[in-house]
Amino acid sequence: MARTTELDTHRRTTRDARWWFFATGKGVAGTIYILAALFPLAWMLIAGFKSKTEVIKTPFQFFPEVWKWENYVQILADPSFLRTMAWTFFGAVLFTLLSLTVNSLAAYAFARLDFRFKRTLWVIVITTLFIPAMTILLTSFIVVSNLQMLDTLAVLVLPGAASAAMVFFIRQFYLSIPSSLEEAAMLDGCNRFTIFIRLFLPLSKPPFVVMGITAFLLYWNSYVWPILTITSPDKYVVQQYLATFRSERSTELGLLMAGSVLAAAPVIILFLIFQRQIIGNIKLAGLK
Amino acid sequence: MTGRIMVHQAVHDSVVIDARGASNADDKREQRRRHDRHRYRDSKLAYVLILPAMVLLGIFVIWPAIYATFLSFQDWSFYKPPVFVGLKNYADVLADPLFLDAIVRGFIFVLLTVPPMLVLAFFFASLVVSVARRFAGVLKVSIYVPTIVSTVITSIIFVLIYDYSGGLLNWFLAQFGVAPTAWIGDPAWALVAIAVPAIWLGMGLTSLIMVAAMIDVPIEYYEAASMEGANWRQKTVYITLPQMKNVLLYLLVTGFVVAIQQLDLPLIMTNGGPVNATMLPNLFIFTHFRNDINVGYSIAAALLLFAVLGSVSAIIFRFVNSERLVD
Repeated sequence: MARTTELDTHRRTTRDARWWFFATGKGVAGTIYILAALFPLAWMLIAGFKSKTEVIKTPFQFFPEVWKWENYVQILADPSFLRTMAWTFFGAVLFTLLSLTVNSLAAYAFARLDFRFKRTLWVIVITTLFIPAMTILLTSFIVVSNLQMLDTLAVLVLPGAASAAMVFFIRQFYLSIPSSLEEAAMLDGCNRFTIFIRLFLPLSKPPFVVMGITAFLLYWNSYVWPILTITSPDKYVVQQYLATFRSERSTELGLLMAGSVLAAAPVIILFLIFQRQIIGNIKLAGLK
Repeated sequence: MTGRIMVHQAVHDSVVIDARGASNADDKREQRRRHDRHRYRDSKLAYVLILPAMVLLGIFVIWPAIYATFLSFQDWSFYKPPVFVGLKNYADVLADPLFLDAIVRGFIFVLLTVPPMLVLAFFFASLVVSVARRFAGVLKVSIYVPTIVSTVITSIIFVLIYDYSGGLLNWFLAQFGVAPTAWIGDPAWALVAIAVPAIWLGMGLTSLIMVAAMIDVPIEYYEAASMEGANWRQKTVYITLPQMKNVLLYLLVTGFVVAIQQLDLPLIMTNGGPVNATMLPNLFIFTHFRNDINVGYSIAAALLLFAVLGSVSAIIFRFVNSERLVD
């Protein structure tokens, strides 16, 4: 709370004598930022209402001559698009749940339990943070093909599920939970595991929201790994579907735009619902 | 529970006393064993809890990393058994002018994306901390929306905006009498054309980190400066920038690491063309993976480039987490 008050004072003090001039300038600057951020998306949304030749028509025209719902109707009526969306959504939910489970269990152990080799194991986990995806791309491919996982859901869900970054993030949160809570729970007869289930899990909502959305986004937006490992068109994920659509049906731009809008919609909606938690979480304590 | 704490305290005390007294080696060993048994009483549960994460990391990260290191010293393809060739792959990579070009291009790409992004984000943050809270909220949400849109969709949008005859950009510039340019078809412009969507995608996080850092600058400094009659520019140069030095450094280095690893945008927008103008390091390696049967070469290139980046990331991590890495 103290921070907000400080900020308000800050806001007041920066209002100089010629505040109206600055206020207008700030309004203009802010509008430019908002436009720059949202304009490409607005353009995509509007292009979805255009006929196929109209999207990059010469001379250029921002709004369609006739607003057409056909593209949205047509892409939604396409069973392959719907199947891809549903399949990607299912995979993303599965990936998110798996990732939250696996990483929070490990985070709890590293934050709250004492065990032999804890330090060594923790260093191993953290070291994996610094291995860039590109370095292990080919050998990961060899591994999943040896495990007979190519062209299955498992190849999309399993390899990224355990993540040192996520263990680290949730562990930081668990370290901040006062140990007196745990002691009280133990007095009530909880053991270490029931403490996790009945005490830590209910408290985990804030990190779970942020990490869950991060995992969902990661899955939903991934492209390179799916194009390497998924080959049957009926198992494509949505980004792969869009990229293939673009190269194979390159004239149907209105339809492609409508598809892109629909493919971006779930994650944008998810973000708008949880924006307060996500934005509120972006802080860098201890960086000064 | 209190009982347990007392036991723990007792064991702890006895160890301390024993260390002071240092009477008997056997005694000490016995004490230590009891202490360990108490200290590691949760071992079994802990191993069960970390097992899933360790197994997944082991199979999909640690083993591939070890395997990649091994393969980088081998002459190997999918069709023949590996033969040890020592550092030959590394030597080949370092002698390859195409790889070195890709690295140089990577640095140019960093210059095209990171400084503009930091400057834009700095102005954005200055704006956010000085406007009414409601407007600040709208600004923060808007700037973050592009971050969650996928690179594939971003690429599709920008390729169409850059279109030579029907694209928005050339139409807009024509209003000012500028002749149309084939933005992603012209080797002189292609890298710049890819830098713009990269900035667009990366602005959200950079800006919000800057806002968070700027809010943390003590307000008293500004109040004192205002009393001395300092203007916005002076406050920025003498208070805000020095106070944010660490955050700026952090953003500079993470920006570098992210930009030099850019893969999706050039892959989807131009596939490295025209005439390699957008062949960034990661795309170079990725293209090799797909086309070159000599796997060791690609892996050596990836390892070479990312040994450096991995170390850079490790340094940033230490810096951010100076006291919390190992408790």
